[in-house]
Amino acid sequence: MARSPAKADFFEASRKAVADHELHRKLQSASDRHLDHVDETRAEFPPFESERDTARRIKEESIAHLDELLIELRRRLEENGCSVFFAADAEQARNYIVGVAKKNGLKRAVKGKSMTTEEIGLNRALIEAGLEVTETDLGEYIVQLRGEPPSHIITPAIHLSKEDVGALFAEKLQMPYTAEPEELTAEARKRLRSAFLGADLGITGANFAIAETGTLVVVENEGNGRMSCTLPDTYVAVVGIEKVIPKLADLSHFLEILARTATGQKLTTYTNFINGPRRAGELDGPREVHVVVLDGGRSAMLADPVMREALYCIRCGACLNVCPVYRRVGGHAYGSTYPGPIGSIVSPNLFGSAAGHLPFASTLCGACRDICPVRIDIPRMLLHIRWKESEDETRAIPWPRGAARARSGVVRFARLARHPRVARMLGRIAGAFLRPFARDGFLRRMPPPFNNWTAVRDFPVPRPRVRRDTAQEADSSGRVP
Amino acid sequence: MAEFHKLIARLKTALESPAPSEPHAASSNSAASMPIAPSAQRVELVSGFAREFEAVRGSFLGVLSPEEAAARIASLAREVGARLVAVGEGVTLDAAVFTHALQEGGCAVERFGKLDDGERPAALERLARCDIGIAEAHYAIASTGTFAVVGAPARPNSLTLLPPISVIVVHVERLVLDLAQALGALGPDLVSAHRLSLITGPSRTADIEKRIVLGVHGPKTLYGAIIWPRNG
Ligand code: SF4
Repeated sequence: MARSPAKADFFEASRKAVADHELHRKLQSASDRHLDHVDETRAEFPPFESERDTARRIKEESIAHLDELLIELRRRLEENGCSVFFAADAEQARNYIVGVAKKNGLKRAVKGKSMTTEEIGLNRALIEAGLEVTETDLGEYIVQLRGEPPSHIITPAIHLSKEDVGALFAEKLQMPYTAEPEELTAEARKRLRSAFLGADLGITGANFAIAETGTLVVVENEGNGRMSCTLPDTYVAVVGIEKVIPKLADLSHFLEILARTATGQKLTTYTNFINGPRRAGELDGPREVHVVVLDGGRSAMLADPVMREALYCIRCGACLNVCPVYRRVGGHAYGSTYPGPIGSIVSPNLFGSAAGHLPFASTLCGACRDICPVRIDIPRMLLHIRWKESEDETRAIPWPRGAARARSGVVRFARLARHPRVARMLGRIAGAFLRPFARDGFLRRMPPPFNNWTAVRDFPVPRPRVRRDTAQEADSSGRVP
Repeated sequence: MAEFHKLIARLKTALESPAPSEPHAASSNSAASMPIAPSAQRVELVSGFAREFEAVRGSFLGVLSPEEAAARIASLAREVGARLVAVGEGVTLDAAVFTHALQEGGCAVERFGKLDDGERPAALERLARCDIGIAEAHYAIASTGTFAVVGAPARPNSLTLLPPISVIVVHVERLVLDLAQALGALGPDLVSAHRLSLITGPSRTADIEKRIVLGVHGPKTLYGAIIWPRNG
């Protein structure tokens, strides 16, 4: 479902999400399980680190030659019999696909999981054009039945328990209630199998596009992507410009790290290679293949030397699972197709200022950088965006009230800190004065101007003897306590 | 394609901006650091494949001669009460050996050839009704337990997708160590001319509370065998 990423309500949404203890439990257990698998599979594969470096280098080179690679990709795809359309933005992409559907008189679409089609809000456009659209990835199918967007780029229904799904299926599919994943999955299989056999349009994204061979590569575990590109007579793939890699031989380096980080598998169950319509006499594959190559703000990222790195992302989803903020609030709070650390970076670029607050939704702890299979320095980019935001007069989100005052407060504090003895003395006086008001060593509320601080966090009361770093302690006084 | 040229122009301009400050130093030890010695290590490859294939919940039938494999598959078909079995054309093997064994066991066998477009919907329906699909892979990857299956008119790709039970065999000489070798062996020409699927275990999902459930869309059961002819 298309969703306007246009609400600067992260802080409001996250407040609600943090209070939702059930959500917290679900997120925590799902992401812990994921991380355990990832650790295990990585440890069993000694070349992992060098594969990461190789993949990173290939991405750097591909993105640096994006113009040439796209020209070659287009040529090779067309030679293989695909129609290629370059879309500058989401609207052009939607219009093209709706046009194809109208021209071929298509009625029933099946979709494999694709964040790029979420990004362009394709479902709504197709439904408005009179098509029936079925999400066929089990997680996507579940959230579609709930009328929700996915909350994770790999496991869309991560925020739901099996009981939630049981209740949903009982209500929407009129089946007797069960919370057994086996039975729920069997029911979905039955429904979706007939959707596949009856569909005339298949839609997926792609994980990679190989310029050398004119091939799209779609990785998945369920087989729904494979169905979508095999059974319907018309097939559309929506691919971001950054997905192109030069050669077939480059692919293994990505596949060796992608599943290991995304799900803790060595390889996903299916790696599908799509390179054009079915050939004469063949049973499998569509009669028409349309490849929509989407810019949608990506070329602007390319132009920014710091942001360019975000185009190396292979959407493994691991940075979401390690992020302390994501683990606490879940994907929906971000209000964007791409949640989590990488989402906080690409969303403002893809969706404009409406997502401008997301770069502030991070603690900059660096866990995302450490797990990222292509070593994207997400915290560095977040800082970069924050800095740009603070320089920009027409900034997307207003500074919180009192921000200017807070700023000058910090400046004053910095000046004070240059005189350790005075600072210490003031600290002691303040501590003695404040201690009676504290609970468990923290002040919950302070009078202005300090209420700016206590509005969002507690303030630790200085202890009777301020504990200082010993290194700092060997200051002018030369005294060590 | 005005949009295309505009895009390329945009990219060219974007690329003129200075490159990211510190390009990542790629490590010097190359990815292909695993030792390779195909013929000497054939046995090791076989046991590695079997282990990995079982780890992704495949059922390994063993290292068999074509005749043994045919007998094994026929008895499997009997066990599950299969009536209709789809058999794709072999890559190195003559699939007739499977067909005969199955027919003797009382199964109807579905074979494939070149189709007219008009025949396609009915052929797909028939294939979807088959109880078992049997295919020979071009290659198999030992380090991941993966089959590389290449489609052709007499060997449709959906043979390993639509029937609930899938049997894939591979010739022992086509067992390679890792993905890089498999892609190298397939090569760009074959990849751009055919439908290729890498298959690592039965269809599966973990979308409900990360619990693994098999057979969500594709086969719930995947049998694998390595064919090692007696005189081979
Ligand atoms: S930024 Fe890195 S860790 Fe996050 S989704 Fe992209 S590739 Fe994965």
